[in-house]
Amino acid sequence: MIPLSHFLIISACLFCIGLYAVLTKKNAIQILIGIEFMINAAVLNFVAFGRYDKENGGGQLFALFAIVLAAAGVAVALAIILNVYKHFKTIDPSKIDKLKD
Amino acid sequence: MEGLEFSGFVGIISLLVILLPLLSFLLILAGQKGRGADLALINISLTFILSVYLFSLLWNKQPFHYQIPWFLIGGIEFKAGILLNNLTVLMMILVSGISVLVHIYSRIYMKGDPNIHRYWAYLGLFCFSMLGLVISDNLLLIYLFWELVGFSSFLLIGFWFTRHAASQAAQKAFIMNRIGDIGFLLGIMIIFSQFQTLDISALFGDNGLMKESRISEGLWISGSRQIPEVWLSIAGIAFFMGAMAKSAQFPLHTWLPDAMEGPTSVSSLIHAATMVAAGVFLIARVYPVFDPFVLNIMVCIGAFTAFMAATIALTQNDIKRILAYSTISQLGFMVMALGIGAYSESIFHLATHAFFKCLLFLAAGSVIHQLHHYRDKLGLDFDCQDIRIMGGLRKGMPIAFIGMCLASAALIGLPLSSGYLSKDAILITAFEWAETRNGIFKILPYLLVLTSWLTAFYISRLVFKVFLAQPKLISREQTEQIKDAPNQMSYVLIILAFFCSFIAFSYNPASFESSWLWNGFSSASIQKVNIYHWLVPLILNIGSLGLLFTTYKIYVKSDGISIPDRNLLYRFSKREWYLNEIYSYLFTVPVEKFSRACYWFDRNFIDALVLKSASLVGVLSGITYWFDRTLVDGLVNATGTLAKWIGRFSRNFQTGKLQHYLITMLLVVLSFFILTYFI
Amino acid sequence: MLSLLIFLPLVAALLILVLPSRFQQQYKYITLGVSLIQFVLSLFIYLKFNSSSLAAGISKESQYQLVEKLPWIRLNLGNIGSLEIDYFLGIDGLSMPFLILSALVTFVATLASWEIKTKLKAYFSLFLLLNTAVIGVFCALDFFLFYIFYELMLLPLYFLIGIWGGIRREYAAIKFFLYTLFGSVFMLLVIIGLYFSVINPATGNHTFNMILMMDPANYSYGSIFSAIADKNLFGISARLLAFIVLFVAFAIKVPIVPLHTWLPDAHVEAPTPVSIILAGLLLKVGGYGIIRICYSIFPDAAMQSAWWIGLIGVVSILYGALNALAQTDLKRLIAYSSVSHMGFVLLGIASSTTEGVSGAMLQMISHGGLSAMLFFLVGMIYDRVHDREIANFRGLAEIMPQFTAFVIIAFFASLGLPGFSAFMAEAFSLIGAFTSEQVNGLLPRWMAVAASIGILLSAAYFLWTLQRMFFGQTRLKGGEEWLSKLSDVNTREKFALIPLAALALALGIFPSLLFDKMNASVLAFVQLISG
Repeated sequence: MIPLSHFLIISACLFCIGLYAVLTKKNAIQILIGIEFMINAAVLNFVAFGRYDKENGGGQLFALFAIVLAAAGVAVALAIILNVYKHFKTIDPSKIDKLKD
Repeated sequence: MEGLEFSGFVGIISLLVILLPLLSFLLILAGQKGRGADLALINISLTFILSVYLFSLLWNKQPFHYQIPWFLIGGIEFKAGILLNNLTVLMMILVSGISVLVHIYSRIYMKGDPNIHRYWAYLGLFCFSMLGLVISDNLLLIYLFWELVGFSSFLLIGFWFTRHAASQAAQKAFIMNRIGDIGFLLGIMIIFSQFQTLDISALFGDNGLMKESRISEGLWISGSRQIPEVWLSIAGIAFFMGAMAKSAQFPLHTWLPDAMEGPTSVSSLIHAATMVAAGVFLIARVYPVFDPFVLNIMVCIGAFTAFMAATIALTQNDIKRILAYSTISQLGFMVMALGIGAYSESIFHLATHAFFKCLLFLAAGSVIHQLHHYRDKLGLDFDCQDIRIMGGLRKGMPIAFIGMCLASAALIGLPLSSGYLSKDAILITAFEWAETRNGIFKILPYLLVLTSWLTAFYISRLVFKVFLAQPKLISREQTEQIKDAPNQMSYVLIILAFFCSFIAFSYNPASFESSWLWNGFSSASIQKVNIYHWLVPLILNIGSLGLLFTTYKIYVKSDGISIPDRNLLYRFSKREWYLNEIYSYLFTVPVEKFSRACYWFDRNFIDALVLKSASLVGVLSGITYWFDRTLVDGLVNATGTLAKWIGRFSRNFQTGKLQHYLITMLLVVLSFFILTYFI
Repeated sequence: MLSLLIFLPLVAALLILVLPSRFQQQYKYITLGVSLIQFVLSLFIYLKFNSSSLAAGISKESQYQLVEKLPWIRLNLGNIGSLEIDYFLGIDGLSMPFLILSALVTFVATLASWEIKTKLKAYFSLFLLLNTAVIGVFCALDFFLFYIFYELMLLPLYFLIGIWGGIRREYAAIKFFLYTLFGSVFMLLVIIGLYFSVINPATGNHTFNMILMMDPANYSYGSIFSAIADKNLFGISARLLAFIVLFVAFAIKVPIVPLHTWLPDAHVEAPTPVSIILAGLLLKVGGYGIIRICYSIFPDAAMQSAWWIGLIGVVSILYGALNALAQTDLKRLIAYSSVSHMGFVLLGIASSTTEGVSGAMLQMISHGGLSAMLFFLVGMIYDRVHDREIANFRGLAEIMPQFTAFVIIAFFASLGLPGFSAFMAEAFSLIGAFTSEQVNGLLPRWMAVAASIGILLSAAYFLWTLQRMFFGQTRLKGGEEWLSKLSDVNTREKFALIPLAALALALGIFPSLLFDKMNASVLAFVQLISG
């Protein structure tokens, strides 16, 4: 039986990769992918912890819920990215610093 | 009633006596310049006539005293008044008489001086103050006139004020007299605080306060007032100091030789006959105040002055300077005489001296005057007062010569002269007095004899050099062109010459006791020793005649005897005992330096202290300002700066870049984790 | 009468202020007219003055003459009582002479003001204001009123020195101002202390009435300055401390050594008329204050400190004279001689004898006239060639004979030649000081002896100056140019100088002119202070 810690390590790795992508990439799409990575790391954790809730399957259920939400979020995010591109002619987040006062 | 009228009458006359000269002073200053000479002469002649009248009225009579209230201080009333006794009336005719002669003389002597009106005015002022001094009845008034006399002497010495030496001499005379005046003032203070009055007859009269006061247990007591005994002596010394300055006694005598810078007529009137006698007069007036200690000092100073001045006169070359020292020496005789109690002898000598010294000066003046004219006529250049260049003037100036000879005889004290009477009187009394003393006082009469011989030497040196000796600079023919002064001057000399003989003073040429003047005053009783009465004059005159002969040999015949003039004694005498140098070294220079030091102290210490304290306040305010700006204000600013600084720091986080925010969030979350882990 | 005397100049000052500037040449005539009227008025007062012992004044209000008393400020202060300040004027024998002196000195100073050429309007109105203040000080009998006049003097003086003065005028003005202010600020404290100590027996209120302050019975028991309670402040008796504070305040004006250094600077920088007023009147305010206030209100403390005051007097006499001897600037020399001469005032007052106090009073009057004369004479030279250095002049007697005659009169009068007022004054100050040991044991005799040396020194510096500047061959630094500028005395100047010389001469020959008028007051004063 594969111990829980293996899943958690993989999930942590996934999360870190995602985080790295989010923080460093110069392309909004890639950042979005990084976010997906992080969500999937969380989903993996759900599933892994679902082992301790076999009767209700709460882990799987939440995993599904999260995937649906992630899909919806990606859709919205992509739409935003498209609009951003339209507006700024770039999707490099470091160049879009209108949040600065 | 009659008495009252009489006193009013005498009072008015005596007032007139002193006010007439003042009137001429005022009128001349008010603009009567052209008529100055006549005005002055008329006024002084009137004064003289009135003085003679007063003299005839009051000589050997009851003293006349008249007072009016002057002012009131507290409960004490000061009175101004006139006191006429023998001494006063004698001085009055002496002063006014000699003044008249000098006035006449000056008309020629001062002729042509552009400021002559000032001269007459000053003479008027002098006569006013001198006569005022004589008739005043209280010490404050005497002091007033005393200084006025000094002031007019200042003006007259400095008459030719454009000459540096003259103004210097005037200044010196006034300041040296001031030293004496301070003594006088101190005396007045002591007398006043002891007796609450300054009235002379109340103080020193026969039953005066001075006689009433007594000394017990070291205290000098008068009525309710008392003061330590030493102040009696101090008072005596103080009054004597006043007299010392005015009568040019050692050590306050150095002004008199310098005062010869004034016109010669002035020297004869003021610095020979009258003003310098004021010191003697003062001593005579306040005589009861002197206790034996002070009298002894007076004797010593008088004798010493007489001797010292005579030694200096031996070697001087300025004709007037010799006479000045001779005056000092004779005044020493008078002071000494007063010190031994020979009151009447002293006054007697004062009177005779006034005439013969005046004559000496006026004769010298006419020599100077004629030489001056001669020099100006020929356009030569020499010092008209230097006896070395004179000589052989006898032929041309017989009147001056004879006058000078008679006066010199009186000065030496040769028989038949007035000086014989008065000077020998002093010497005889001195010997009699010394009988009862011991120690140094035994020697003093001999010192006086020696001084008399010195007198014979220096005055004959002067006469021989001027009139008889071989002329030095000018040829004999030229010398003979120098004639006697104009008549007006010569008449004055003749009149004065008369007063140098015994006739004016005594019917008996050999005995001073037969003199009316001597009898007018009473001396302290000194044991009479008959032997002195013929021995002293004899020895004196033999010595003097011997010296006269020697001098004649040295200066007229010039046969080989010469005076060594390089040795120490000669130089000591020539430089007037180095007293001027010593005074300058001891007093003038140190005072001047001290005053500079004071000023330096004032600038650099007291004022600097003020300025320092001011700058200290400045520094203090600087410090508070700094404190205010950096700390108080700084704190406020610091809060602001901190907020700004924090703001600027935190602004760094707001880059507007998504990923930066994310990193920040991550870091914050992480740091929370780390913190929770550690805490 | 007194109010008229005081406020006449003020009215004239207002008149000058409203008059347009094109009349500015007339300002000096207005001022001159005012001072003449004042002089006539004060002469009238002098002649009418009652000198009997029943009108002696000093500590008895009923004996003052020409009294004017009006309630001025009445303020109810609740339980402290009510504030009682009166407009209270009056004169006695010790203040009356100063009225004449003020009028005379002002008259001379006005004549000296002819040389002022700039800002005439400001100058003459300040000048008249000063005049008001000075006369006010001598008449005021209410301490508060006195203080107001006293401070009011400072203001015009500050501007007169600071605006019309010499090169270092600002420095001198500020120095003068701070010095005097220093004294008067502490004086204010004492005034307040006295106010709270003294009760007017008639109304039960605290009062500023000076005459009431002189009577120990009017001090409320336990108050700070009560003689009976004898409280201590900072370890010394409160009355002594108050006396010292007041004394210092007035002594700065006198001035005494070592508080004198404002005087030479102020004099040297001030324009001639202001120097005249300074020396002629301001210094006298100091002496007057010491007599009227310090001594009369705190006689016990005065007796305790007599020795020191006498010593200060002697030191001032000698030190001032020595400093004068070292001067090279004529005006500074005269300034220092003032220090020396005012020392006699202190010595005379310290002796607390009738002779001494009379001498001190006469000295103040005499010095008022003579120093005015001296400064006027210096001013004449300075106005002609703008130089005062002694060494730059020689033989002036030949080119300015009349001027020299006046200088000789002024110098000899100042150095105490008998026949002039200064002699009588100094002689009686000294006699008083000398007698003191016998009468009241306050001053040792050596003080009088030491002070008399000051007379010698004054002869030395005056004669030396005379000899250096006036005698000898004429030699001037400015050569021909100066020779043409140094014209002799003109009529206006004679008008100023002759009255002063006459005053000195009159008081010197007939001191009774002054002594008789103030004798009763002096006696009462000595009575008061020696208890």
